[in-house]
Amino acid sequence: MIVKRFYLFAGAAAVALTGVSGTALAQKFDREVHIAGFGAKSGVVRSFGVNTEGMMRAAADKINAGGGIKLGDGKMGKVVVTFYDDRCRAEEGISVIRRIASGKFVVAVGPTCSNVAEPLFGILQKTVDDKSDSGLQFPIFTDTAIKGGLAKISAWAFRNVPNETEMYKNLFAWVKKKWPNLKTVYGGVEEDFAHSRFTWYKVMDKQAKAAGFKVLGRAKWLLADTNFTTQVRAMKKAKADIISISSHPFTLCGLLKEMRRQRVKYKVLIGLTSSSSMETLQGCARQAKGIIIPTSFAPVTAAAKEASAGGAKYKASADLHSAAAWENMMVLKQVMESKGVMAKAGTIQADRRKIRDGLAALKNTQGLIGSIKRHKSGEATKPFVYVHAQGKEWKILHDPNK
Amino acid sequence: MDFYFGMLQIVGLHTILGLSAYIILLTGQVSMAQAGFMSIGAYIAGMLTVLAEMHLIPAMLIGGVAAALVACIVGFPALRVKGLMLVVATIAFGEFIRIFWFNFDYQISRGGVKLGPEGGEGFKQIRFFPENGWSTLDVAIFIWVVAGAVIAAVWWMDRSRAGKVLRAVGEDDLAAQSAGINLTVVKVSAFTAGGFIAGLGGSVYAHYTTHIEHLNFDIVMATFAIIYPILGGLSNVFGTILAVIFVQVFLLEVLRPLGDLRNLLFGAMIIVVMNFMPHGLFSAQVASRIKGVFSGRKEGANA
Repeated sequence: MIVKRFYLFAGAAAVALTGVSGTALAQKFDREVHIAGFGAKSGVVRSFGVNTEGMMRAAADKINAGGGIKLGDGKMGKVVVTFYDDRCRAEEGISVIRRIASGKFVVAVGPTCSNVAEPLFGILQKTVDDKSDSGLQFPIFTDTAIKGGLAKISAWAFRNVPNETEMYKNLFAWVKKKWPNLKTVYGGVEEDFAHSRFTWYKVMDKQAKAAGFKVLGRAKWLLADTNFTTQVRAMKKAKADIISISSHPFTLCGLLKEMRRQRVKYKVLIGLTSSSSMETLQGCARQAKGIIIPTSFAPVTAAAKEASAGGAKYKASADLHSAAAWENMMVLKQVMESKGVMAKAGTIQADRRKIRDGLAALKNTQGLIGSIKRHKSGEATKPFVYVHAQGKEWKILHDPNK
Repeated sequence: MDFYFGMLQIVGLHTILGLSAYIILLTGQVSMAQAGFMSIGAYIAGMLTVLAEMHLIPAMLIGGVAAALVACIVGFPALRVKGLMLVVATIAFGEFIRIFWFNFDYQISRGGVKLGPEGGEGFKQIRFFPENGWSTLDVAIFIWVVAGAVIAAVWWMDRSRAGKVLRAVGEDDLAAQSAGINLTVVKVSAFTAGGFIAGLGGSVYAHYTTHIEHLNFDIVMATFAIIYPILGGLSNVFGTILAVIFVQVFLLEVLRPLGDLRNLLFGAMIIVVMNFMPHGLFSAQVASRIKGVFSGRKEGANA
């Protein structure tokens, strides 16, 4: 009897609480603004998608805690995030974006992989209002896929990713100035991954030469490789002053361990932007000690610290990619409010167009570590710092803005 | 609706891919090179529409023929090996083709923009469909016209003498040879036909994704090609279609919200199906039962 009463009481309390919180929500928000996230949540690059999702949800919490998004009719909209896994495969990415575009979402943030972004942007309408182009008319605001120059594929594609050419141009110039005795560079490249391949051949190699270094050669490997003996032997034989590695944490760690095993000597070690993440430190903190990486995120400002703490609640690690997802959410709030998005069932396509136009019109946005310049091409130039691995954390080595 | 039309496109494309492996499987050979043949069709048709500004249909046919020629050449050495050795040999060939595209660089400059395959960075801007105003529905219909033609051709072939010859070789090639069947001709023909279908599928695939690169045609794609006919059963072509729907619609799309669990379920469900339905989702028994149901209804209606 007592047990029965207890259950009755607990049930009544639960119903009452649900009612109270429901009323509170109903009073606070009038409508829901649906934002989709998508990226790799499985496979080798899984951690990127997991981090992006966490940061998006944390940013949505912050926006909602601040009252939500002010809609075109003065009502308040609650941000609702839904995240889809594209497994870093082009075909699935296309399927996911069609699914998103067929739903109630007004904009999407993603994808993780450049090999997904490229075909995705290809199925979008190339030029706005081009009646002869039947491409999808849906705004995508990319946080992670970093391979250079992708946003120009479509007027509906925007990216908030760092400009690696600027980063490495500055980095090599700074290295030259700081260590004038260093003359030679030897490269390492993860050949079959769009981003790392692009960054070595079109960025690092060119910028090292432009800064006056002699590039002695490069070692190559694949994303799925686990043995780096031959590559490291060639690296050791070259006796270069600087080793510049364009690879993601998974192979970077394998390579660094092999370099240590073969006792490769170098004066400066440079890494790929995407490797300035916790994965590298979790996988090979000891071997990565001292590696210098330019990154567009470091918890150096109050906003960056807040974002980092917010993501941690969702077990997301804030790095240059996932922090961009947070920034994107804040930029989208600003755009939606300035353009008067309605978030009604009948205004979805009009809202999407408003967001696209709003993003295209932006000249500057506020990022977590400084002001971000936006370009007509849909790309961004983000502030960056140089970090180096020290123990279990990334520490600021140099801030080129100061 | 665009999403559903998009799903139709994917199912159509994978049906073509599955049927390319189905024909070869009928002769008892397991080819893991279908993704490689598909890539030949994809790159050649893409280059023809983008660089030579050719219409898609002739480009597709040329892509298909090119893949068939390569498959024919591969078919001869493949005759010398069987079973697991053939699997390994075709995997190696698929990887060879993939690495070839990885290193293949042929670009021309048009209007200040470089077009064409760029090695590891892939081949972008294959925008025949959007640039010609094809809607998602138009593309879905087009893909299904191609898939329908392939299904009809394979179904007809399966029911003809040619199909019986393929199956005879698949059941027991020694017995088939004793009965006067030329094994070389049959096996190489199956490889060639499979290569043509895969090439045709690849040419549509390139235009569907607008961007292709070597990674699109890796071992995962080759595995998908072989999974469909095995999972669906070799009794007839409809098993392959059913398997494509099961994998692409149910396992990949319906279960997408499950996130990581999806990958776990993906493997588990295939194992369950293969254990409980060893002859495939659409085995000869299931086909005859369905046939019986329909013929029974007819009798009932007549009575």
